[in-house]
Amino acid sequence: MKLPAPPTEKSFASPLHHPRVATVIGRWLGTAVAVCFLTGLYSHFLQDTPSWLPIPSRPANLYRVTQGLHVLSGIVAVPLLLAKLWTVYPKLFAKFDPKAIRPAIERLSILVLVSSMALELFIGFVNTLQWYPWPFPFRQTHYALAWIIVGALLVHLAVKLPLIRANWRRTPEPAPESLPAETTGLTRRGLFRTVAGAATLVGIASVGQSAPAFGPVAVLAPRKPNVGPQGLPVNRTAEAAGVTGIDADWRFTIVGPRQLSYTLEELRALPQSRSDLPIACVEGWSQGARWEGVRMRDLLAAAGAAPNSRVRVVSMEKGGFYATSELPEEFAADPLTLLALRLNGAELALDHGFPARIIAPNRPGVLQTKWVHSLEVMT
Amino acid sequence: MRLRIGLLAAGAVTALWGVWELIRAVDLPALVRLPLWLGGAVVADDFVIVPLTVGIGWLVTRWSAGPGRHRTVGVVRTTLLYVGITSLIALPLLLRQGTGANPTVLPRDYLRDWLLLEATIVAVGYLCLMFRRSRASSGDIGGR
Repeated sequence: MKLPAPPTEKSFASPLHHPRVATVIGRWLGTAVAVCFLTGLYSHFLQDTPSWLPIPSRPANLYRVTQGLHVLSGIVAVPLLLAKLWTVYPKLFAKFDPKAIRPAIERLSILVLVSSMALELFIGFVNTLQWYPWPFPFRQTHYALAWIIVGALLVHLAVKLPLIRANWRRTPEPAPESLPAETTGLTRRGLFRTVAGAATLVGIASVGQSAPAFGPVAVLAPRKPNVGPQGLPVNRTAEAAGVTGIDADWRFTIVGPRQLSYTLEELRALPQSRSDLPIACVEGWSQGARWEGVRMRDLLAAAGAAPNSRVRVVSMEKGGFYATSELPEEFAADPLTLLALRLNGAELALDHGFPARIIAPNRPGVLQTKWVHSLEVMT
Repeated sequence: MRLRIGLLAAGAVTALWGVWELIRAVDLPALVRLPLWLGGAVVADDFVIVPLTVGIGWLVTRWSAGPGRHRTVGVVRTTLLYVGITSLIALPLLLRQGTGANPTVLPRDYLRDWLLLEATIVAVGYLCLMFRRSRASSGDIGGR
């Protein structure tokens, strides 16, 4: 039996496989990649802050916005990437001379770009479901692939620059030889509208996990921001953290210039403050909440420490990366930062960190340490 | 030319930095399996999703050669694409329904929501189709 011949570059008849189309969709995809990369970098540095980098504690909602944008731009990039791949698909079957160096570099950079971007978007989205079917660590791989993508993208731009320049502005649309465009409806403008519509559609169907106004239609989002104990979702439950509650002899301690120890009743008797702050998770969902508790800087003052001290927060959580966290100077000094005892008008639920948790502005949820039982002044 | 060389150099350095990060932070057994997943991503895109789109596009274009279909083919194509892309993104949610790490992860009825979403897309597509047809039959002989 004779197999049919493989397709060649000429097998694809649609006039939409054109550099102008690739340029326009490439610009959109490039914008999404840039937003995703920068917001991702910001999130990375918030979680893994190098000592030379001061991170401000305001605006209080900044991380909520940047991380919401990170996940949104990633989801929106899915239809854009597929449209881009469709547009340049015939190139996959172009004749290839293995001895020529320039086409080899071009192909290699595209292979790196396509494979890493497709995998990056896939593991990024699936991570928001807290599903990890792959054999490599998510966070480190996601971070490293981001640099590889940006690098391969710059190489791709260098290679294609003359073509991009020639197609940056509108070019005349070639009339197809067989049928006029009206017959098949295949116009460039129609394609751009359809692709923009697809990106908007998946965006609207998922952004509700961080923008509550779109909550009811967030059918493609793994979270509903108002579902959970006290109207707030949970990432790590008390059960998963091995925390079962507190005994009657539970004490909250501060290790500083003065050593302090409080019972829960004594903490409740201290002057209480209120902060309206969101829990903004690295996985993109966020929800605002009303917290009540003791100001961090009041606790530091009581322990005889400077208000802008660096503080190590220790949880009762068993193991895990986030059993302790560090509160940088500016966050400890911020009047919004609380050792929270109450949430939305009631005592903290065990899953939200009973008896006490940290809540600070402009921080990823994983660093808002729960089940806190001691603070250590570090400076 | 200088800009291109600059971009090329910056790109190479950035990508190598990513490779260095990868080698530094990921242990060998995981590092060896990563190319399999990268290759899998290319196979999924270039040999499943895009060929499927090209194939369905070809069928739709063939179908559109019939009488009176040139007015409606755009709506049909867009509706199919929207059903496809939303289903692709819904797929992990549908596969993991009910297996969330805690009750606040994947709290929706994703099967019901996905069916509702697709039904809405198809219904809107159908309305657009009716609108085009009625405009065509009311004496507006635009196009051809």
